[in-house]
Amino acid sequence: MNDEQTRARFESLTLPLMKDAYNLARWLMRNEPDAEDVVQDSYLKAFRFFEKFRTEGNARAWFLRIVRNTCYDALSARNLKEKELVPEGEINDIEDTTPGPCASVVAKATIETVRKAIEALPVDFREVVVLRELEGLSYKEISDVAGIPLGTVMSRLSRARDQLQLLLRERKENDEL
Amino acid sequence: MNCEECREFIDAYIDNELDAATTITVKRHLRECAACAQFLEARKGLRALLGQPELAFDVPDSLRTRVLSALPVAPAKPKEDADRFRRRVVIPWFYVPVALAAVFAIVFGLALLQPGWIPGHAGNRALVAQVISGHVRSLLATHLLDVPSTDQHTVKPWFAGKLEFSPPVQDFAQRGFDLIGGRLDYLDNREVAALVYRRNKHTINLFIWPSKPDHAAPVQTFSENGYNVLHWERGGFSFWAVSDVRMEDLRAFADLEMQSS
Repeated sequence: MNDEQTRARFESLTLPLMKDAYNLARWLMRNEPDAEDVVQDSYLKAFRFFEKFRTEGNARAWFLRIVRNTCYDALSARNLKEKELVPEGEINDIEDTTPGPCASVVAKATIETVRKAIEALPVDFREVVVLRELEGLSYKEISDVAGIPLGTVMSRLSRARDQLQLLLRERKENDEL
Repeated sequence: MNCEECREFIDAYIDNELDAATTITVKRHLRECAACAQFLEARKGLRALLGQPELAFDVPDSLRTRVLSALPVAPAKPKEDADRFRRRVVIPWFYVPVALAAVFAIVFGLALLQPGWIPGHAGNRALVAQVISGHVRSLLATHLLDVPSTDQHTVKPWFAGKLEFSPPVQDFAQRGFDLIGGRLDYLDNREVAALVYRRNKHTINLFIWPSKPDHAAPVQTFSENGYNVLHWERGGFSFWAVSDVRMEDLRAFADLEMQSS
């Protein structure tokens, strides 16, 4: 394959993924300029390693993995990286097992409230929520993109949702005051 | 199954990630336990909130341009890597014929496995990627049309001043393929005409450039990454139609184009 063909193949595989890439970066970086930088870096990186990508593989998971890793690099490089995963104990404390109020309260939240709640999650939780709920990836794909075992995908997602429900309920209560 | 176990599986349950046996056990528990059923409802409420399309961010137009211009023409092939390779690796010459035979077998195996891959079509397959990327770029870069017009008598003369050939332009609006305009594009190392059609909400790009005079070639079909591509030649022109519409629809489009002359 000559250079022109390689570039054409690369573009036809990755350009349709720009929306997914930008959204993942935007959620993880939490601002527009950083997200744009990350997306550009990711395209350059992906192009550099394009020969290692096997055409029969899952292009979306492959590319999102690069975007995800570029985000993490950028977050730590800029010393912005949020606190590490909340320790297990704390999460169990906030786990909400009284289901009653959540259902009704959650139903009334607005787009802005939901966006803020997602952004308030620790980055490791935000990542699985965004990949699952907004990008629609399977557990297997999330495990590939985030580089974590399937079981961890399942438990992180579950904790992240618990936390989201709690955050949305708190915001709702604040709004009502 | 008790409540604790049910809560442990309930996320994988709503995500359709559980095996059949566990799904049945969770379902059974949910029928019997009001608290867990309510918990499931809360999860469904959350899912509905997160599923709102308005949550997604739009890609800034400037980013597309930025990425396309930042990409180098070819992936860099670092020279020092090659040197390092040469220095460290001692080739066991004994294995070379074996390796060659293996490569040969793999190449031919792959060639046989891939439908549509016939040695004579190798050149076309390379073009397929270019055609798809031309299509994708036209949709991304807000540069779908140079001459927006549904009138074939406006579109055809527009090309006259820009290209050294005059592409056949037809409207098939009555058959469900609306001509919406045309633009210049660059493919196969030359300027080509791109006609743009709409099928329901999908866009079809039809690239046209001169081939051998009076040469005709039957339709070849290609599918890659969710895009369908058709190629044919007639009346001294080479045609490439590309879209994400279904193959039957694209085929119907090609048939219309071929019958219309």
